[in-house]
Amino acid sequence: MLQALELTRTFGDHTALQGLNLRVERGDIYCLLGANGAGKTTTINLFLNFVRPTSGSARVNGIDVVEQPLETKRHLAYIPEHVMLYGNLTGLENLRYFARLGGHNEYSAADLQGFLDRVGLQRDAASQRVRTYSKGMRQKVGVAIALAKRAGALLLDEPTSGLDPKASNEFSELLLQLKAEGAAILMATHDLFRAKETGTRIGIMKQGRLVQELSTDEVSHADLERIYLEHMH
Amino acid sequence: MNALIVAHEGRLLARSGALWAVLGLLALALGFAAWSGGRNVERQLRGANDAIAYEDGERARMRRDTEIYAAQVAASGGAYEFAMVRHSPGKGPPQGTNAGAVGAETSAYVALPPTGLAALAIGQSDVQLNYLPVQMGTTLEMIKQVEIENPVNLQTGPLDVAFVIIFLLPIFILAMTYDLLSSEKERGTLAMILAHPVSLRELLASKIAARAVAVLVVVIGFGFAALLTVGSQLDQAETWWRFAAWIVATLLYATFWFAVAVLVNLRGRSSATNGTILAGIWLMLVVIVPNLVSLVATTAFPAPSRMDLIVAARDAQTEAENSMGQALDRFYSEHTDHIPVGDQRAMDFLTLAQANAASIEKALLPLYQRFRDQILLQEGLVQRFQYLSPAIMMQSALNEVSGTSTGRYQDFVEQATRFRYEWNGWFAERFLRREPLRPADYDLFPKFQYRPEPTATVWARLWPSLLGLLVVCLGVVSAPMVGMRRLEVAAR
Repeated sequence: MLQALELTRTFGDHTALQGLNLRVERGDIYCLLGANGAGKTTTINLFLNFVRPTSGSARVNGIDVVEQPLETKRHLAYIPEHVMLYGNLTGLENLRYFARLGGHNEYSAADLQGFLDRVGLQRDAASQRVRTYSKGMRQKVGVAIALAKRAGALLLDEPTSGLDPKASNEFSELLLQLKAEGAAILMATHDLFRAKETGTRIGIMKQGRLVQELSTDEVSHADLERIYLEHMH
Repeated sequence: MNALIVAHEGRLLARSGALWAVLGLLALALGFAAWSGGRNVERQLRGANDAIAYEDGERARMRRDTEIYAAQVAASGGAYEFAMVRHSPGKGPPQGTNAGAVGAETSAYVALPPTGLAALAIGQSDVQLNYLPVQMGTTLEMIKQVEIENPVNLQTGPLDVAFVIIFLLPIFILAMTYDLLSSEKERGTLAMILAHPVSLRELLASKIAARAVAVLVVVIGFGFAALLTVGSQLDQAETWWRFAAWIVATLLYATFWFAVAVLVNLRGRSSATNGTILAGIWLMLVVIVPNLVSLVATTAFPAPSRMDLIVAARDAQTEAENSMGQALDRFYSEHTDHIPVGDQRAMDFLTLAQANAASIEKALLPLYQRFRDQILLQEGLVQRFQYLSPAIMMQSALNEVSGTSTGRYQDFVEQATRFRYEWNGWFAERFLRREPLRPADYDLFPKFQYRPEPTATVWARLWPSLLGLLVVCLGVVSAPMVGMRRLEVAAR
């Protein structure tokens, strides 16, 4: 579903990403681990065509994202570290707008409310303007937007950073549901524990390179932490 | 364009309050400007009508005198005679029987009628008198009324709709668009939107469309309302093609400013930087460049000053008087009422005065020509340099469609000058033949009939400005298309 082929991006002298090869299949939750600046966000931005590859290609469903950016975005949902919405619109209005931008005009108000219920946003909050929302509430609307898009692939850029453990746990539950529904999920994260718990595969990145790939079944929490720290030194 | 984004932007704008402030101010400015323009046209018409009515009254008075005199002559069986020029009333034929006196002492005012759109752009009309006095003697009296030292001057003049559109509309447009993309980027919503199947071009076009519709509905709506309230000649096709050209020019000018805002936003800088850059562009194109062009035009082709003209006229007069010779002649030329009745010298004096005027006129002709040439050169220079700024092109176009351009005025001055020769000739001829004016002759005085310029002439002056605006628009609109392909939503 998601595929990087020798994907490389440089910014001037700095190589943000060097020859990345990666596949995320349906039912996979692929967690990218690594220090800040390791190339995790660049990878996600390349899949979204927010930045252009210097060489190599990123593909969604076999389609090159540079050649057909609009087509590939139909298959992608994106949850950034900080979900930013229109403060003057309510949570429900934001959701409706983004759902329609994704081509889903068919949802009734009840359907949209259903998505917000599913991500655990309180009913009374849904009709308040987003400017009053906490970060956790905005992230929930972000997840609802991703759900409403019914995309085959999800790109998550540290989506749970700054969330309390309960919200983080609820988020992981949702990811597992989506995985069960056949989504391909690529998530950049710093949370080794969640990566091991919910992820199916893990990629460790360092200075723009993918230095190791693991299956979460193969390692324990302790092993994962040890391997990760070894790479960081 | 994406109807969903347009509607979404419309909703955001409607909720932000800034839109209402901008549109309210724009509406207020346009309303006031239309009122001010209407008042200006009214004032000009009143001025012309008052002047014409006064002179008509003077001639009517003279005619009544001749009617009374004709009745007396008929009753007494005497001859209908020619009056000497004199200022004190008395017996004998009244002054109205003397064609020279009627032609010299009353002016025929000729007026340039306003177009239906005159109230929308005052243009040069506040410095160029819309009615001119036509007299016997020399053209000097008339030319002195023409503002000769004022080239296209964009800065001065009363508030009119053209000023609001040229100066203020860009500010309102930029206020709504300076952070078009940068605000989405700063808010973080740009990435959210562009993760969806929407291209940046579509997003920008839709955001612009929502704002353009709001602004242009107000501008075109108020323009239309202004035409209906302070405009005139609504039953004439000419008014409507002029208004159509007004709309085209306004749309092009607005498009230019929207496109400039997009272009600056695509540089990817912050909202504050965008605002500063756009304010600089506005200052450059709307204030500095037009002023420089005006300055260059007046420096390169300075019109001889009005003082030069008056001094030259005085010299010519002195010379003519010297050749007139005798001190007594000079005395009588200054005190015509002291000329003894029946004196041959009185008859000669009138002829001499006419000859005198003719020689002054002849001496001044090259000077008139120089004025005319310099004005045309200045105007030509401004026309060539107008392409440096859309504001000059716009001013030029709006003056043209409103009928307040220098070109139309020059045509009027030429018509007035030709009419003055006709007027002068008509009276001089009768007077030199010593032919007394009879009451019925008063109906035969030459009448000024303003001949509107052919539509093709107006268009010939108008299309370079419109075409220039179009070309500039196409350039600025197509530039973002190139920049957009390179833009990356998320930099490092």
